Amino acid sequence: MDMTLNAFTLSLLTGLQLGSIYVLIALGLTLIFGTLGVVNFAHGALYLIAIYLAVSINNALGFGLALILVPPILFVIGILLERGLIQRFYNRPHTDQILVTFGLAIVLQELLKWIFGANNIPFAIPSWGNGIIMLHDYLPFLEGFVVYPKWRLILVVVSIVTVAAVFALLHLTRFGLVIRAGMRDAEMLQFMGVNINRRFMIVFGLGAMIAGIAGVFGGPVTQVSPEVGMQLLVPSFLIVVIGGMGSLGGAVLAGILIGMAQSFTAPYIYINTIIIYLITVIILLVRPRGLLGAKGVFE
Amino acid sequence: MNESKVDAPQTFFSCRELNAFYGESYVVQGVSFDIPEGEIVALLGRNGAGKTSTLRAIARASEPGLTSGEIWLNGQALHEMKAFEAARSGVQIVCEDRRIIPGVTVEENLILAQIAEPIGWTLEKIYSHFPKLEERRKQEASSLSGGEQQMLALARALARDVKLLLLDEPYEGLAPVIVQEIERMLREVKSMGITTIIVEQNAVAALKLADHAIIIDSGEIVFTGTAQEVLENQALREEYLAV
Repeated sequence: MDMTLNAFTLSLLTGLQLGSIYVLIALGLTLIFGTLGVVNFAHGALYLIAIYLAVSINNALGFGLALILVPPILFVIGILLERGLIQRFYNRPHTDQILVTFGLAIVLQELLKWIFGANNIPFAIPSWGNGIIMLHDYLPFLEGFVVYPKWRLILVVVSIVTVAAVFALLHLTRFGLVIRAGMRDAEMLQFMGVNINRRFMIVFGLGAMIAGIAGVFGGPVTQVSPEVGMQLLVPSFLIVVIGGMGSLGGAVLAGILIGMAQSFTAPYIYINTIIIYLITVIILLVRPRGLLGAKGVFE
Repeated sequence: MNESKVDAPQTFFSCRELNAFYGESYVVQGVSFDIPEGEIVALLGRNGAGKTSTLRAIARASEPGLTSGEIWLNGQALHEMKAFEAARSGVQIVCEDRRIIPGVTVEENLILAQIAEPIGWTLEKIYSHFPKLEERRKQEASSLSGGEQQMLALARALARDVKLLLLDEPYEGLAPVIVQEIERMLREVKSMGITTIIVEQNAVAALKLADHAIIIDSGEIVFTGTAQEVLENQALREEYLAV
C-alpha cells in the first residue's frame, strides 16, 4: 500500500469521524445492554428520530435550539419507551427483545418516511461550523494544501466530550457507582435497598439522549433520510459485539477500530464493503467475548 | 412503602403458608413459622430441601416467585413488597456465594449498602469491628479471600439498619480457622439481638448458635423445636440432615 503522509492524515481523520458517530450510537446501545440486558435494535431508530427532530428545529428555529432541545426530548422518549414497552421484555429471551425492538425500529422508520418523505432533507450546518480547516497550517509535516471540513472535526470533539462525560458520570459519581455495580449484580443491589430498575430506566434515557447528541451533530454528516437508522444500527451493533457486550471502553475502542478500517480501505471497494464483518469474525474467533467484554456477560 | 396492617401478627417475624416456585416446580410448600425478636433460628435440611428458596422468598427476590402466603416483619407486610422495599424495611440477606460486587472496591461495596435509607453501622464502626476490611478498603473486592469476602458480606448487611438477618451457608467453602473467625463474628451479631435465620449445611455449627431449629424437607417443614432438641436427637438428624 503506497500512501503519502497527506493521504494517511486525511484517512486517519475520516476514520476518527466515522468512528465518532459509531461510538456515540454504540455507547448508548452497550449502556442499555449492560444495565438492562436488553438488545435494543430500536436504538438506530432513536438516532433517526433525533436527526429528524434536529433538522426540523434547526431549519425553523436555528441550531442552538436544536442542540438545547433534541437531547432532552430524546431522554424523555427513551424513558417513555422503556416504561411503555421495553420493561415488559426484561425477563423474556433475547430473541423476543430483538424481534420487538427491530419491529419498533421498522414502524418508526416508516412513520418518519410517511411524515417527512423518503428523500434526504438538507441539514444546514450553522455558520460557526461551516467551512474548512487548513490542516497544513497546524500540521507542518503535511505537504502543500491539505484541508478538512470543520464540522467533521467538531463531530469528533463532541464525541470525545460525550464519551468523557459518560465515563466521568460512571466513575466519579455515586449514581455511576450504583450503575456499574448494577451492571455486575442487579439483584444484590436490590437486596441492599437500591431501586435499581428506576436507575436503569434513567440509563435507558441517557442512552437515548446520547443518540440525540449524535443526531444533532451527526445529521449533517450522515444525511437525513429514513434508511440512516438501519444503516448505522448494523455497524453499531457489531461494534458493541466486537467491543464486548456491555463494555463502554470496548465500544469506544471497537468504534474507532471500525471507523479506521472503513476509512483506510475506502479506496479498495471490495474490501471496504466487507471489512467490518471480516474484523468481527476475526475478533470473535480469537476472543469470543469481544475486546473488553467481561466474563459471564452474554455467554 | 407498605404500612402496618391490622391483621399483622403479634410476633416480630412471621411466615404464613408460604408457597413459592421456580418454573413449574414448587420449592417452598406451605411453610409457616414465627420468630420472636432477637432470636436465632437454624433452618436446616438436605441439599435441595428448599432452605435457600425460603430465604430468597423472605427477601422478596423475584425468583422463586411467591404464589401465596404472608410474610410479616415488625408489622410490615413483606409479601406485598419488592426486594428493595423489603431491604429498606430491614431484611438483609447474606447470600450463599457472598455476592460481592466485582469491579468495585471493598469500601465501594460498603458504600453501596448505604445508598438507600435507613442505614446501620457507619464505615468507622464497621472498620473497628472488621480491621481486615479497613486494611483492604481500596482493594478490588472480588480479589479478597473467601473468608474476607464472607466478612465483607456480613459487614455489608450490618451497614444497613438490619432487623432480620438471613444468613445462607456462612461457613461454606471456608477453612476451619476461618470458620472459627466467622463463628466469633456471628456470636457478636447474636449479642446485638438481631433476629436471624441461618441456613447451614454444617448443622451442628448452626445449632450451636441458634435458639430454635426448623427442619425442612422437599419444601415442607417436618420439624420445629429448640436447637438443643435437634442436637440431642441423633435419629432426627440422620433422617433429615444426614450429618
